[in-house]
Amino acid sequence: MRMTGLSAMTLGLAACGRGFGGGGDAGAGGGVQLDMVWWGDATRAKKTQAALDIFKRANPGVTVRTEYQDSGPYKDKLATRFAAGDPPDLMMMRIDSLREYADRGALLDIRAQSGAVDVTGLSESARNLATVGDKMYGIPSGLNTIGFVVNKTLTDQYGVRIPDGNTWSWQDLSAFAKEITEASGGKVYGAHFEAGTLANLIVYVRQRGEDFYTADGGLGVTEATLTDWFAMFRTMRAEGALPPAGFVENLGSSAEQSPLAKGQVAAQIIPTNNFAVNQSAAGGNLALLRVPGETTEKRRGQSIDTPALWSVAAGTEHRQEVLKLLDFLINDPEASKATGTTRGVPANPAVADAVKPTLSPDDQIATDYLVSLQKEELPRAYPLPPGSSGIAADLLTIATEVEFRRQTPEQGAKALLESGRKALGG
Amino acid sequence: MSTVSTVVDERPGLAPVPAPQRRRRPRPRRDRAGYLFLLPWFAGMLFTVIPFFASLYLAFTDYNLLNPPAWIGLDNFTEMFRDPVWRQSLKVTFVYTFVSVPLSLAAALGVAMLLNRGVRGLPLYRAVFYLPSLLGGSVAVVLLWKYVFGLNGIVNAFLGWFGIDGPGWTSDPDFALVTLIVLHVWTFGSPMVIFLAGLRQIPAMYYEAAAMDGAGRWRRFRSITLPLLSPIVFFNLIQSLISSFQTFTQGYVMSGGAGGPANSTMFYNLYLYQQGFGQFHMGYASAMAWMLLVIIAAFTGLNFLMARFWVHYDN
Repeated sequence: MRMTGLSAMTLGLAACGRGFGGGGDAGAGGGVQLDMVWWGDATRAKKTQAALDIFKRANPGVTVRTEYQDSGPYKDKLATRFAAGDPPDLMMMRIDSLREYADRGALLDIRAQSGAVDVTGLSESARNLATVGDKMYGIPSGLNTIGFVVNKTLTDQYGVRIPDGNTWSWQDLSAFAKEITEASGGKVYGAHFEAGTLANLIVYVRQRGEDFYTADGGLGVTEATLTDWFAMFRTMRAEGALPPAGFVENLGSSAEQSPLAKGQVAAQIIPTNNFAVNQSAAGGNLALLRVPGETTEKRRGQSIDTPALWSVAAGTEHRQEVLKLLDFLINDPEASKATGTTRGVPANPAVADAVKPTLSPDDQIATDYLVSLQKEELPRAYPLPPGSSGIAADLLTIATEVEFRRQTPEQGAKALLESGRKALGG
Repeated sequence: MSTVSTVVDERPGLAPVPAPQRRRRPRPRRDRAGYLFLLPWFAGMLFTVIPFFASLYLAFTDYNLLNPPAWIGLDNFTEMFRDPVWRQSLKVTFVYTFVSVPLSLAAALGVAMLLNRGVRGLPLYRAVFYLPSLLGGSVAVVLLWKYVFGLNGIVNAFLGWFGIDGPGWTSDPDFALVTLIVLHVWTFGSPMVIFLAGLRQIPAMYYEAAAMDGAGRWRRFRSITLPLLSPIVFFNLIQSLISSFQTFTQGYVMSGGAGGPANSTMFYNLYLYQQGFGQFHMGYASAMAWMLLVIIAAFTGLNFLMARFWVHYDN
């Protein structure tokens, strides 16, 4: 208990600094206050608080002080809190930041905590998301993946048949999208997805039998595959399957601002946890298809991903309590009933099944999509190495340059490999 | 970034300062009261001075926020010259500054002269023209700007009347910076207000005398207005240059923090921020901040040198 005074003081100071009331720490009743941070909006806040209230009732003496922001400022703030020596106990962690923290010893190895958090219920792909070597630095707060949504109202209107979403190829996508553009007389473009989005590219690369990132954190993608990727977009754009360069503007990230919602395109790639919001933004008649090429290329490309992980600070002073809270969030169906799918489908399939009946029909569609994908044999994916966020930024830049014909697909592929190797410290 | 902002404070003398009356030594007692009132400022300075010197140290280290900084000498600085995105960010910032600052000063002076001709309801006009200055750097206006210049925005609708198919002003890498330059020029209000104040200081008799001698409007502007206004022009120039070099918000909001499309709005400070907080290259970001300080100091110094040839102080 010698540390108590000091920690109470630092926590108290921190609380003042951030303007959050938060009662005293390990004071009178020997209670413990956990510091938990995450990103999201007010809806997510309400749902998270509902889950925490359940936890609090079951664990008197433990209080949880939460703080949340938008994802951009969150990232900055988390970094500065670690730098200031005041890390939160439990935090939401971006998948592309995980190793930035883990490789520097800032996160707790959850596997080494003698089963304080039960991860045996999770699928292997879910467990692997934050596993570096034999250590586990995070647990997915929920699962998602990407999928192609097609607006059936538009395909009906123009009399275009939707291909079988489980077996379609990239050529099928191109032909389908072109048909819509032509049938609508250019009023609606067939499809929209970005060459500059890393998640899209990674699926394509995996289908080609390569790993974008290898097990040892290097670049496994070949120049030929990258060239084909950029060239495919150029062809589809030239044929009118995709809208012209610069057509889709970066007006905001919400579903309402997407070209799909505005009826400018008939199909679009989305993260599956956003299916319900896209559905309501786009008029309620969306079909959820897999990414093309899953059965027509060398191997499966899709993977089980997560919008965010839960990680625990290595230096937490309340290890036992924070692991208990984490276990509750992951494995207790009541917690997931309270949070719903705000962070994706619950990572534990048993919990996902228990929660499903309480979900809206749209969330059930997205849940089914993910649960069935988890049962299939998918090639292993590796956590993004440190420097990955730089590669994602370079990909976006280079893809835009290829889109506007400032670079050829060959030049783009070369440039991305070069900057990627540099970003990974090669 | 805080390190850079301290530069702003080195303001050049606005107008000729009257010779200080320092015959008597001020009583120390009154000094003390003065310092007492300055105390909050000194306390606030600590929050600037400490990070200021910390960043100078960090500029010579490899620091990722999580592990202690490691001394690497000049590596951060040599790395800059090899970093294509750094060069790009410098290019974007220079183009932005050297195009938009003269244009916005010209617009400010032009409108100030119009308003100086004794318009009725001057305070209202002044406020209206000043308004964009207050709002231009704000997130809401940049967002609004994105819609105005959107593919289906007002600007393209207007161009459409003349049969011009407008580009994606914010999504095309050839035009995104142009859009931001227009936004900057639009926020000419604060130099304008200062110009207006300066114009009112010019005695009307000079113009009357010149008009009697048959000087035309242009001649009067060239030979009376400009020379007498030159200290104000100089002040506005320095102010605008410094703040323009430090542009951040516009690029951040317009591109959603990415500096896109294709790094065409990657301002120096935006890249600095990305390096520091996005990729945890805090040492590199600190070095960039100090490099920007040197660049701004160099341009400011150059301006002071050149000022001898064109800035005239009255009396």
